[in-house]
Amino acid sequence: MNAFFATFKVGFKFLWKSPVSVAILIAFPIMLIFILGSALSGYISADIELDPVPVAVAAEEGGAFRSFLQNPDIAPFFDLTYTSRAEAAALSEKGDVVCAVVEREDGSLEVLSPPGSGFSARIALSVFDSYQRVGAAFAIRGPEGGDIPGFSVEDMPLGKRVPNATDYYAVTMLVMILLYTGTNGTELFHKGMLSDTGSRAQTAPVTKPVLIGGLLAASTVTSFLQGMVTFVFTGVVYGVYWGERIPLVLLTLFAVVLFSQAFCIFLLLLFRSPGAVNGTVQAIFWVMTFVSGGYTKVSFGAADAVFQYVPNAMAHTVIFGSIYGGNEAKMGLYLAILFGLGLVFYIASFLLGRRRLA
Amino acid sequence: MVAVMENIVKRYKAHTALDHMNLTIQPGETLGLLGPNGAGKTTAIRVLTGLTGADAGNTRLFGAEMRGAALAVKRRIGVVPQDLALYEALSARDNLNYFGRLYGIRGAELKKRVDEVLEVLGLSDVAGKAPKKFSGGMKRRLNIGCAIIHKPELLILDEPTVGIDPQSRNHILDFVEGMTKQGTTVLYTSHYMEEVERVCSRVLIMDAGHVIADGTVEDLTKAAIFEESVTLEVRENAPGLCESVKKVQGVQRCEADGRSLSVTSAAGSQNLARILECAAPYIILSVAAKRPTLEDAFLALTGKKLRDTGGEGQ
Ligand SMILES: Nc1ncnc2c1ncn2[C@@H]1O[C@H](COP(=O)(O)OP(=O)(O)O)[C@@H](O)[C@H]1O
Ligand SMILES: [Mg+2]
Repeated sequence: MNAFFATFKVGFKFLWKSPVSVAILIAFPIMLIFILGSALSGYISADIELDPVPVAVAAEEGGAFRSFLQNPDIAPFFDLTYTSRAEAAALSEKGDVVCAVVEREDGSLEVLSPPGSGFSARIALSVFDSYQRVGAAFAIRGPEGGDIPGFSVEDMPLGKRVPNATDYYAVTMLVMILLYTGTNGTELFHKGMLSDTGSRAQTAPVTKPVLIGGLLAASTVTSFLQGMVTFVFTGVVYGVYWGERIPLVLLTLFAVVLFSQAFCIFLLLLFRSPGAVNGTVQAIFWVMTFVSGGYTKVSFGAADAVFQYVPNAMAHTVIFGSIYGGNEAKMGLYLAILFGLGLVFYIASFLLGRRRLA
Repeated sequence: MVAVMENIVKRYKAHTALDHMNLTIQPGETLGLLGPNGAGKTTAIRVLTGLTGADAGNTRLFGAEMRGAALAVKRRIGVVPQDLALYEALSARDNLNYFGRLYGIRGAELKKRVDEVLEVLGLSDVAGKAPKKFSGGMKRRLNIGCAIIHKPELLILDEPTVGIDPQSRNHILDFVEGMTKQGTTVLYTSHYMEEVERVCSRVLIMDAGHVIADGTVEDLTKAAIFEESVTLEVRENAPGLCESVKKVQGVQRCEADGRSLSVTSAAGSQNLARILECAAPYIILSVAAKRPTLEDAFLALTGKKLRDTGGEGQ
């Protein structure tokens, strides 16, 4: 235990004094100031304004639901087609609308969504989807494709804020920052295990798991704390809304940290040079952030079905879902996949390391 | 026996770094491992300390098989790697604390040991400073300090004086002599024979992955060098001098060239005083005696010069 904590401590100090890690710590929040500042000033938000969500509505003219939809707080989020029940169902079936909302005889609402995907599942399809549709999600939320019983205007969570560009970028940028903190793991693991300093530590009466454990703990904790700086910073400085399920958001961020540490260490054992790993992940994480809609709105058509499993995309989906509401089953699945990916890369690193560190 | 390596073979792909290497270290001795760059000294240390597995052969330290996990044995050795192995951005004290803790030292005892080591190595004044700001010599000393914090019974130093100023080098050599006096067994690797001649009680000469000679400095030079030479210069021509010098025990040849006299003797003759006695009637202007060194021994053994195989630091 003494050796574990000693390694943890030395690793922690190493990282907080390493130029790379300090750069991450300082450069990213500065970048965020720039990006979020632009978003706030409308420079970026013009590009990613909420697209109205196409919804077919079959409801009684002059009824409660129609007047709800005409509420100026809500109306901009929807591109409504008022039609008959049968027609609404058909539009939803074809996928021309994301869902159809049908008012029943007794005044309750039924949400019909395209086969195989409840409305909230659609929300989770991609980050941009979720960004565009979260507004709508406030208005129409319920069990997948099911009823929203006892519908009334007062029950709608309109009191919650609608996400703006800043809220959106705070999430995608924080996830990206945490991915890049994987290089903490690279630097420290290289120093503490693979370099001459690492060799020296291995001549001491300490087992490899203790050394590796201490180093990984140090880089994981450091990375997570670095993410927390941004998390708090965005909340305090930009008033970013992180929702009411903070533990779930933090758990997701932690899963991202674990994944990126494991991934970077795997690459380090493969390439043996921290420089090569940094160069590679700069590129990979940039692409991952791009395809998961981190910077700007993109659609890749059929590929979107695959890109939803890009780690950032999954993290975005879980975080947006936890803040604004989303499909719980899908969120749980994505979170599990994220943790699973971390585990997979740790196992792969272990197997590779057993050969490489022999 | 503190350490034994028997017929160790270590290959890196096609290259054989250790080719049936044998080595024994006796308790209390300071064993020099001398060889040019690439001879396999560092590899031998890596195998000895369990950092690298050997492809063949046995290694025992303090009587135990050396494997990666031989923790009880590792506790008794201290290794000073050839290249600086420190956390350069952390203070000297942080570094000593870290390596001390890896050896299970803690609390007040750790503090005391760290202070002692800083004192011995002349680093007390810079304990709070980061080694990245140190001179080369100070870094080397801290590199050593991190290996002795736990008072090892066997101290292994891999070229500890590469690339430093003479003063720091002297400090380190004094320190090694001090360790020997305190009873620490030392394995000292170098490609500088002056150092090995100075601090080591026994020397192994290594080349191309195995030991080619083993003995005291004196033994090795005697065994390898067949002649010693003395050159005398006198003021006037001395026609009979050569004849009388030739009668001195050990002298094999004497050649006069005007006023200068070249005398060649068998190695280890130790006859300089007698040669000078013969020359006493004349006014001697200069005497140049060349004592054989390990360098000569190495040259004689391998046909190579020790230092012509590459630059510093490898
Ligand atoms: N990790 C390695 N991979 C491949 N070759 C190596 C490795 N380490 C050492 N060698 C080779 O083994 C030989 C012995 O190296 P080394 O033990 O470092 O010599 P020395 O310490 O005597 O200078 C050299 O030819 C070197 O190039
Ligand atoms: Mg070497």
